[in-house]
Amino acid sequence: MGKYHDGAALGVRGCVRCARETAKGSWGATMQLETSRFGSIDVDPNDIITFTQPILGFQDYRRFVLLPGPSSYLKWLQSTDAGELAFIVMDPSVVVPDYAIGIRPAELSELAVTSVDELDVYTLVVVPEDKMKVRTNLRAPVLVNPKLRLAKQALLDHSDYPIQFFLAQPQQGQGQAREASNARSNP
Amino acid sequence: MLVLTRKEDESIMIGDDIEVKVLDLKESQVKLGIVAPKSVAVHRREIYQAIQAENAQAASAAKIDGISNLISR
Repeated sequence: MGKYHDGAALGVRGCVRCARETAKGSWGATMQLETSRFGSIDVDPNDIITFTQPILGFQDYRRFVLLPGPSSYLKWLQSTDAGELAFIVMDPSVVVPDYAIGIRPAELSELAVTSVDELDVYTLVVVPEDKMKVRTNLRAPVLVNPKLRLAKQALLDHSDYPIQFFLAQPQQGQGQAREASNARSNP
Repeated sequence: MLVLTRKEDESIMIGDDIEVKVLDLKESQVKLGIVAPKSVAVHRREIYQAIQAENAQAASAAKIDGISNLISR
């Protein structure tokens, strides 16, 4: 049970199966990947995203696939190098509608794009036991070139976005709670 | 650890293509200029460490039931 069951409960396996049917039709060869969360899944090599710069601390894991998550703005970033390694990523514009990344042209060329608009932007989500502490890292987004399937974790050196942006909604009558707690987390 | 003494406007080379230059010295602060290839990431150490620690936390998430409910749309 455990981790595997979480994936199954979310319906991820079902979605992966759907994806597999599509993949069989259009591409043919898929690779088997044993994962700790989703059991054995088929991965289309054409879906693998390669990190030009690693997720910090995970230098040895450069290849990932994006799998459907529990909602349209949450996805799993599953390592294809290690079945037990997966991150939950989200679309940060869901919580910060004007979320904008300022990165140098050199960093864009690393992902073979000329504009940020060509990139898919995700932020890593941390899910501790205490759901009030669920948070996302707005300072170091994962940028993906969806066409060439290149990615990197960018560090926004000159931004004020917090490394820990708490997602929990404030209770009624504490309208400023989220803003206040997020301000505190900003180093 | 290699220790070198440098004055303002002096620099050191790391390998053939990384230069670290002392631009300015003021009280207890030193301003450094770094010239490095695009492939070399340069960051303040404390930010780098904080992000690395947060990434490690992100990798250990197991139970995500109900987190969609936390996000206000």
